[in-house]
Formats: sequence, C-alpha cells, structure tokens
Amino acid sequence: MVVSTIVLYFYVKNLLREEVEEELFSTLSRVEIALTNNKTQFSLAPLVDVSEVPEIKAQILKDTIIYDPSQKEMEEFRELTTFKKINQKNYKISVRNLVIESEDILVAIILSYLIIIVSVFIILFYFSKVRNKKLWLPFFKNLESMKSFSLISDKPISLVDSEILEFSELNTEIEILTNKVRGDYKNLKQFTEDVSHELQNPLAIIQAKIENIINGDNLNDNQFGHLTSIQKDIQRLTQMNKRLTLLTKIENNQFAKVEQVIITDLVQETITNFLEITSSKIEYHKKDVIYVQMDRYLAEILCNNLISNAIKHSPNKGNIVVEVMGNNFSVSNEGNLALENPEKLYSRFYRESETNKSTGLGLAIVKRICDLYNFSITYHFKEDKHIFTINFNGHI
Amino acid sequence: MKILIVEDEQALQQSISIYLEKDGNLCEVASDFKEAVYKVHLYDYDLVILDVNLITGSGLDVLKVLKKQKKECGIIIISANNSLDDKLNGLDLGADDYITKPFHLAELNSRIKAVLRRGKYGGDDMLIFNEIKVDTKSRTAYINSKSLQLTRKEYDLLVFFMTNKGRVLSKEIIAEHLWGDNSDLADNFDFIYVHINNLRKKLTAEGAKYIKTAYGSGYKFIED
Repeated sequence: MVVSTIVLYFYVKNLLREEVEEELFSTLSRVEIALTNNKTQFSLAPLVDVSEVPEIKAQILKDTIIYDPSQKEMEEFRELTTFKKINQKNYKISVRNLVIESEDILVAIILSYLIIIVSVFIILFYFSKVRNKKLWLPFFKNLESMKSFSLISDKPISLVDSEILEFSELNTEIEILTNKVRGDYKNLKQFTEDVSHELQNPLAIIQAKIENIINGDNLNDNQFGHLTSIQKDIQRLTQMNKRLTLLTKIENNQFAKVEQVIITDLVQETITNFLEITSSKIEYHKKDVIYVQMDRYLAEILCNNLISNAIKHSPNKGNIVVEVMGNNFSVSNEGNLALENPEKLYSRFYRESETNKSTGLGLAIVKRICDLYNFSITYHFKEDKHIFTINFNGHI
Repeated sequence: MKILIVEDEQALQQSISIYLEKDGNLCEVASDFKEAVYKVHLYDYDLVILDVNLITGSGLDVLKVLKKQKKECGIIIISANNSLDDKLNGLDLGADDYITKPFHLAELNSRIKAVLRRGKYGGDDMLIFNEIKVDTKSRTAYINSKSLQLTRKEYDLLVFFMTNKGRVLSKEIIAEHLWGDNSDLADNFDFIYVHINNLRKKLTAEGAKYIKTAYGSGYKFIED
C-alpha cells in the first residue's frame, strides 16, 4: 500500500512534469512565431515574459516560485527560458506554467486510497456480519439453551439443527452427553429416595425393640444410658433421612403449591417455639411486614433451619438477632472467627466444626429453597457476628 | 381393647404387639394385604394400625374396605413416607391419625389412646389415674376434683405420662413428644427437667407422687 502510494506519487509527478514541459516548449514555439510575425514584444506575466537582452545565453529549464496575485500565494512554476535572435534582436523568452503541487498529488492519492479502503472495509464488514449472523444463529441459540439447561427441570435439552457439519456434530454430542447426565442424575436421585425410604423400616424396628428392652426387667443404669444414647443416634439418623428426602423432594419440584406467606409472622412463631427449648436469647427486630409467594411448608423450614442453625452455632448461648426489614430477613449469631470456607456452607454434610451433632443438611436445604424461588442468600462476618441474609427479591 | 396390627415387617409387628399387650390390649397381626382384608371382614376391632406400604398392596386400600363396611373402629396409619400429601390423603380417607416411621412406641401408644378416647369409639374424653382426672376435651386436669393450673407443655407431659403409665420414658422420647423435630436442638435436656420438675411439684403439692426417676435419667409414671 505504502509502496504503491510512493510509486504512484512519483509516476504521476513525472507524467505531469513531462506534460508541463511539453506544453512549455509548444508555448515557446508559438511565442517565437508570434514574435517573428508581429515583431512586437509582449508579455503575459507570469506565463509569458519577453524581453530584449544584449546577449544570447543557453536555454534553461528550471522550477521557480513566483507570487501569484490572483491566488494570493506563492505558487510553483516550471520555467523555460530561452534566448533567441529574432529579426536581428536578441530576445529572452521565458515561458512558465503552473505545476500541480506535489503535496496535492500525494493528498489526492492517499485520500482516494483511504476512501477505497474504508468503503471496502465497511462493505465487507456488513456483508460478513450479516453472513456470520446467519451462520452462527443456531450456535448461539444452542448456547442459550445449554445455559438454561438444568438437571432439576427434568426436560431434555432442545437444540437447533445447523447446516454446518461441525455444529451438527457438536449438537449430537451435547445431546448424548446431557441425556447421560440426566439419566445418571435421575438414578442418583432415585437411589437417595430409595435409601431413605428403605432405611425407615429398620430404624423403626430398632427403635421399637429398644423401647421394649427399656421396659423389660433386669436393666441397670449403665445399660439404660447406652440404650438412650442409641435412641439419640437413631433420632439423628431419622432427622438426616427426613432432610435428605426433603432435599430430593425440593429438587423434584414436589412443592408446587404457592400461597401468600407472611414471613414476619412466621418468624415470630418460629422464635416462640424455639424459646421453649433453648436458653439462647433471641432478639427479634420486626421492622417491616414481608409477604412472600411460596409453599408454606418450605417457608416454615426456611425460617426454622436458619434460626436453629444460629442456635446450634452460637457459643455460650449467646445472643441471636433476627431482623425482618425491607426485602430482607437476616439471622445473626455471635462467633469468634469468620468461617474458613464460606463457599462450602451450603454443601451437603459440610460442617465447620466437628463438635456439634448437626446433620449438615440444614443450610443445604435453605439454599435449595432459595434457589427454587430465586431468593438470594448471603453470608458475611461482621463485628464478631455470623450473619445470614435472605433477600426475597421481587416475590412480595 | 382389640387391636389389629397390619404391618409387613414381622419384627416391628411383634414389637408393637408386645408393647400394647402390656396394657392389657388384645393384639392381632396381619402381615400382608390379603390377610388384612380377610381379618377386617371377619372380625371387629376397636382399632387398626395400618402400614401404608404393604408388599402386596396399599394400606390405604384396606382403609377403604374398612370405611365401606362402616365399621366403628379407630384407624392409625403408619408410613415410611413423611410427605404431607400422604398424610392428608390418609386423613381424607377417614384415618384418625398418622404417624411416620420410625416412631416411638410410647408415642404410638399415646396416639392410640387419644383416638380411642374420642367418644366416637365408645371411649370418653376423661383420662383417669387414681385421684388425677384429665378432661382431654377442655384440656384441664383435676386432682380430687380440684383443678390444677398447668402450662401447655405441663399438660401435654401429664397426658403423655398417664397414657404411658408404668413405662420407662427416656428424656429423648419425652423431648420428641413435646417438641418434635426441633428437639435435636437441645444438646442437653435441661429444659425438660424444668418442665418435669414443675409438673412434679404441682402434683406433689396435692399429694400425687407418681413421677418417679428410673435408671438415673429416665422417668416413670407409676403408683408406689
């Protein structure tokens, strides 16, 4: 591009110069003829300049710069000066012609190049844009459906067919993959469901038998202690089972019933219930009334799990502060240190400390419920307090 | 009382009947759907304990048969399924109560008695133990016709003790009866002591010293 610009520039310049020179020579010969015929001396400054001189010199061809009053600027001229003896008189004849300024040539070349480039670019750009849009349309549509694909919804992924071989191959592979994942997920869910269901019978038998043993004779205090401790563990197992089943049910979307729940009142009820069995102090700041459209049972579980989590994890029966304000429901309990792995908080069976006997499912359930209704749940540690906040977004 | 236990798990069937027979009930068992329908047709029971998930059929179908025959008997459903829908389904079909596996026998016993007390099946709303009399309809307790001022939990506790008289009740069972699933919140059972002690004081003040400690940490409601 640059090279062609330079070459073109010099070529055009040369061409013009030759043309100008040719014109100069022809003008000169005309002036000579005129002088020979008319014998009068005339000038047409700055183009033709005739003057009488005492002697004859060699012909000169040069560039010169003369002020042009009509243009009001200095212009470059090509000048041909020749000395001729006509009718016994020595004349100096200068003919000049305007030379096209070299910058103008350059500018013209560059400008035309630029116009060509820009217009080609714009045309190509829009052309390829339109073309690409058409070509990639199935790809982007599929990308969208992949983004919205969820194992929980139990719907197969629907992909748009494409004429492009690579894309249709990709589609086939994605379909195979998602079907396999869906199948595995379904099996896993079924397994969890079956296990929790099947566990209940043996648990019921163990529990019934222990009660009969306790009510039998020949038992000492020590044995009784062991038996009640087993009862406690059975209860834990039962809780775990119930919660696992609940998780599966939420995932299966088995809570489709939606009604208006007044969170503010529900929290009050939950706190009243808890106050009967805990020595922790629970403060309740009721600032706004929150109405939420959701399943009532899940709403109860949500409040229950968050508050009981705070009770379980507050050291030395510290203060628990529950607040309902604006769109937010927050529960905070005292703590010494921020959690080490807050990102794992909502995973099943994750416990920060091994000391307390929680099922490790409470917060996982809370998270699931929040996901189900698009509530957002956040955890932060501030001023020695663990604070969980649920934002009910626009569900009011 | 004549009770039919429909449950396909033999071990559970046996445990339930052992527990209930101690109270002088007469227990019969049915291990599958066919046997259950057969026995229900042939005999009259005061109460039927029905497992929903029988290998050969659904306990809810036995319930339908019972209702069709218009037999005057109480029905308690036991199920491994802790779903609200199942519960409502069972109650809609005419069951009197619903209990989820695993359960405490004392809890089942308490529910059985509650069902039988409801006048419908020939019982009455009064629960009587020596000088203690509990009117379960108005939820008030009397000792020698003098009314006792009890809190809600103390009242529940008294009824639970009276329906399971002579049994050893561990704090776990009591806690679960009073607070259900939330009872696992308490890492010690101090709050139970408080309720039991208060109830005990109120009873003892009237001369009814029936709440005894058993094996150091359990309780028993029994006459000397």
